[in-house]
Amino acid sequence: MKKYLQVLKITFQQELAYRVNFIMWRVRNVMQIFLIFFLWDSVYSDHTRQLFGYDRTKILTYVFGILVIKAIVFSSRSIELSRIISDGTLSLYLLKPINFFKYWFSADVASKLLNMGFSIFETIFLFLILKPDIFFQSNPVYLLLFIVSLIIAVLLFFVLIFLINIFSFWAPETGWALPFLFVVIIGDFLSGSVFPLDIFSKSAQNIFYSLPFPYLVFFPLQVYLGKLAISTVLNGIVISLGWLIVLWFLVKVFWEKGLKKFCSEGI
Amino acid sequence: MKKNLKKYFNVWWISSKNSFMSVLNNRLGSSFFLVGKLLRFFIYLFFINILVKGTNTLAGYNLDQTIFFYLTFNLIDIVSQFLFRGVYKFRSKIIDGSFDLVLSKPIDSLFVSLFDSADLLDLITIPPLIIFLFIVGSKLNPGILTVILFIFLVFNSLIISAAFYIIVLSLGIVTLEVDHTVMIYRDLSNLGKFPIDIYKEPLKGFLTFIIPIGTMMTVPAKSLMNLVSPWGVLLSFLLGGIFLLISISFWKYALTKYSSASS
Repeated sequence: MKKYLQVLKITFQQELAYRVNFIMWRVRNVMQIFLIFFLWDSVYSDHTRQLFGYDRTKILTYVFGILVIKAIVFSSRSIELSRIISDGTLSLYLLKPINFFKYWFSADVASKLLNMGFSIFETIFLFLILKPDIFFQSNPVYLLLFIVSLIIAVLLFFVLIFLINIFSFWAPETGWALPFLFVVIIGDFLSGSVFPLDIFSKSAQNIFYSLPFPYLVFFPLQVYLGKLAISTVLNGIVISLGWLIVLWFLVKVFWEKGLKKFCSEGI
Repeated sequence: MKKNLKKYFNVWWISSKNSFMSVLNNRLGSSFFLVGKLLRFFIYLFFINILVKGTNTLAGYNLDQTIFFYLTFNLIDIVSQFLFRGVYKFRSKIIDGSFDLVLSKPIDSLFVSLFDSADLLDLITIPPLIIFLFIVGSKLNPGILTVILFIFLVFNSLIISAAFYIIVLSLGIVTLEVDHTVMIYRDLSNLGKFPIDIYKEPLKGFLTFIIPIGTMMTVPAKSLMNLVSPWGVLLSFLLGGIFLLISISFWKYALTKYSSASS
C-alpha cells in the first residue's frame, strides 16, 4: 500500500511540475462548459419552458455537473499506456516490483483528486459569474446512490481506457488514434458529456443504457437530479457493475495475450 | 515575385506530400482519426436537428439557418486546420532547437512554421462539406452577390484564423507552451459552432470584437442570410486586417526572444 501512496505523491508532483500545462488544461474544460451552458441558456431563455424532460434549473445543473463529474471520471494518467506500449517503455514498468494495474490506478487517483479540487473551484467561480439556477439534491438516498454510481463510473472508465490502450500491443502504429476515438468521440457523446442522452427517442435510450458509456456521466447525473425511480437506479447500478466485471475480465485476458506479443520495440 | 511564389508553393507542396505519405503509411491510425472526425460532425448535426426541432428556433434562427452556421463553422475550422497544421508540430522545434534550421534557410520562417505538413485527413473532408454547404445554403435563397460576399468573408475568416495561429506560434517562442494554447484557441473557436447570438453581453461583444470568433465564424453565415449591414461587413474585413497585423508584429517581437536553447 505504501508504495502506491508514493506513486500517488509522485504523480501529484509531476502534474504540478508542469503548472502552465495543467492550468491550461483546466481553462480548456471551463471553455467547453461555456459553449454548453450558453447553448442551453439560450434554449431555456423562456424560464417556464419544459423540454426533453428538463426544466431550466435541471438542465443548467446538468451542465455544471458535467464539469465536476468529467474532472473526476475522465481525469486519467493511464491514457498514456498506449504510448508506453508503442515505444517499448513498458519494459521499465514490468521490471519494477509493483502491480501494474495498481500503479496506474494510483496515478489516476492522484490526477482525479487534483482535477476534482480545481473543478470545485471552477464551479464556484462559474456559479458566481453566471449565476445559474441550480438544483441541490437533498434526498440522502439519492445522494448515496449518486456516490455509488460515481465510484462505479471511475472504475468503469479505468477498465475501458485500459482495454482501449491494450490494442497498441497489436497495432503500435496507431499511437493515440484509438484512445482519441474513444475519449473524444465515444466517451464525450455517448457518456452524455455534451448533451443529455434523454433527448433521443426511448428506443435509442434503451440501446444506450445497455452499453457501458452512459454510466460514466449521464447516469450519475440522472441519479443526482432524481430523475429516475429508485428501482431504475438500482437496475442501472447492476448493469454498470455487470459491465465492470465483463470489461475487467477482458482487460485481464487481453493483457496476458498482449504481454506475450510484446517485444519491447523502440527501447 | 512570380519566381518567389513558385518557390514557396514548391516548399509547401513537398512538405504536404511528405505529410500525406506519412498519413497513408499509417492507414489504421488515420482511419480511426477520420472516423472520429466524421462521427463528431454527424453527432453534432443530429443533435442540432433534434434540438431545433424541439424548440422551433435557436436564438431566433430556424433549423436550416442553424445548420448553415454549423457547416460554415466546420468549413472555416477544417480549412484552417488543413492549411496551418505546422503549428501543431512547432513546440518540438522550439524545445529541441531544430527551429534554428528553419531560421537559417532562405525562406520565411513564419511561412514554414505555419504551413508545414498540411493534413490529408482534413483535405478529404473539405469537398463533401462544400457540397453539403451548397445544398443547405441554397435553401436560404441567397442572391449571387450575397454568395460572392460570403466567399470573401470566409477568406477573411481564414485570415483571422491565421492570425490566431501566428499568435499561438509567437507565444510558443516566448513561453515554450504551444500544445494547450492551440487547443484553447480550438475551444474558443468552438464557441462559434452555434450563432454567436446565443451568448449574452459582455461575452458576445468580447467574442465579436476583442477575440473575433464571432466575426470569424458567424458573420459569413449571417451575410448569406442578409443579416449583416454594409458597415458590419466593412468592420469584419477591418478586424481581419488589424488582427493579422497585430499577430505579425507579435511574431517579429517573439523572434527577438528566441534563445535557441538546447540546440
